[in-house]
Amino acid sequence: MNDLVDFWLEHLPAMLDGLMVSVQVTGVSLAIGVPLGLLLALAVQSRSKPMRGIAIVVVEVGRGAPALILLQFTYFGLPNAGLSLDSFSSAVIALAWCTGAYTSEIIRAGLEAVPHGQKEAAEAIGLNHLDALRYVILPQALRVSVPALLGFSILMLQASSLCFAIALPELVSQAYLIGSTTFRYMPILVLAGLLYAAICIPATIAVSALERKLGAHA
Amino acid sequence: MSLNSSSITQADVAPKQPLLRLDAVGKTFGTHVVLEDIDLSLAAGEVVAIIGPSGSGKSTLLRCINQLEPPTTGRVTIGDTTIEAGHTPTRRELMVLRRSIGMVFQSFNLFPHLTVLRNVSLAQERVMGRTREQADAVSMQLLARVGLADKAQQFPSRCSGGQQQRIAIARALALDPQIMLFDEPTSALDPELGLEVLSVMRELAEGGMTMIVVTHEMRFAENVSDRVIIMADGRIVEQGPSGTVMRNPQTERAQRFLHAVKDR
Repeated sequence: MNDLVDFWLEHLPAMLDGLMVSVQVTGVSLAIGVPLGLLLALAVQSRSKPMRGIAIVVVEVGRGAPALILLQFTYFGLPNAGLSLDSFSSAVIALAWCTGAYTSEIIRAGLEAVPHGQKEAAEAIGLNHLDALRYVILPQALRVSVPALLGFSILMLQASSLCFAIALPELVSQAYLIGSTTFRYMPILVLAGLLYAAICIPATIAVSALERKLGAHA
Repeated sequence: MSLNSSSITQADVAPKQPLLRLDAVGKTFGTHVVLEDIDLSLAAGEVVAIIGPSGSGKSTLLRCINQLEPPTTGRVTIGDTTIEAGHTPTRRELMVLRRSIGMVFQSFNLFPHLTVLRNVSLAQERVMGRTREQADAVSMQLLARVGLADKAQQFPSRCSGGQQQRIAIARALALDPQIMLFDEPTSALDPELGLEVLSVMRELAEGGMTMIVVTHEMRFAENVSDRVIIMADGRIVEQGPSGTVMRNPQTERAQRFLHAVKDR
């Protein structure tokens, strides 16, 4: 037992570095992906056919293709087309795409949950389309979407582990590296799992608390 | 022909130029005709009640006036802005229209995520360009006018239905409209709460506001409005001074409707 704790403590700094990278890649992907999801949700409802068409393709590919394929496409595929990216940028593009596709559906459901009368009232008092969206529709739609968006964010942190496949030095890559030099895969992967859980379990509890709180005011 | 039906009432009530005019306005959804050939003109200060059975097109008519539902035929003229059916109104035209016309909905449609004060102030800031202080000051006056100054910092969900509808009236008044449209403003309220809304509306009417009220409140139609329009099947079947129409309708369809509502 002592041996295990010593092993963990010895490798904890490297693992925490990995965790940092996981959190960073997830954070940047969400920071780009969620606004992208909002734009896609609006574009899918757009009156312009080409806009709707593009948005639907982006969303359906993002949801239809496994995240691992998107990652490998941006890291190994794009260089064939003359665009070489480092693993962090590739990871961000792939995960932001995936985030945008999934969150656009979450946000679209939120937009549809806002009663039609709200839009009419906003129009009737003379707000233009953008102001109606900004001051009346989106605040209500996003309030409905927030718990699902946060839940999705937790999933994305876990999905970022797929980035080990494109040599991003995140948590799972670090665990593999340590495993391959010490041949003690089992304990180091357990530590990786515990570190994910240490973030995800409290976050999940916080999200459901928030959900109850938002629900109470609805 | 469009002038015939309205010229009588115009002569009756106001010789000056009408504030609002509808010429041959019609609305179809697919093949379903909801409104047909509606002519209507409204002088400043006039209060018109529109009554009629459900599905007769009353609400659609109101919604055609402020283009929430663009008419499929005809013309809507307010002041010197005319919007022809068939072409999409420009932003400017829509803005003139929406600023000149306030609308109150059956289901209030207050913004639930904003305080009562913000509900009334929002359009003043975004549409009229008032500062927040100016807007809030005007809003407080309007809320006081509908008797709800003490609710300013509450959220709409904490107010009764009658209070919410009065707030909605204040919100519509905030843009200094020339005309107020009421779409069955008391239908979602129990009778007692409806009364407080009706009394605010009566005060507005007495203050000289030009109003079109779609309603099932027959007493309000008879006593407060200057003119009553009875609609059925998407058409105006009878119109005239409220006392005459309500007590002595001429057409068979109007008689049948009034008979039915008065008998209950």
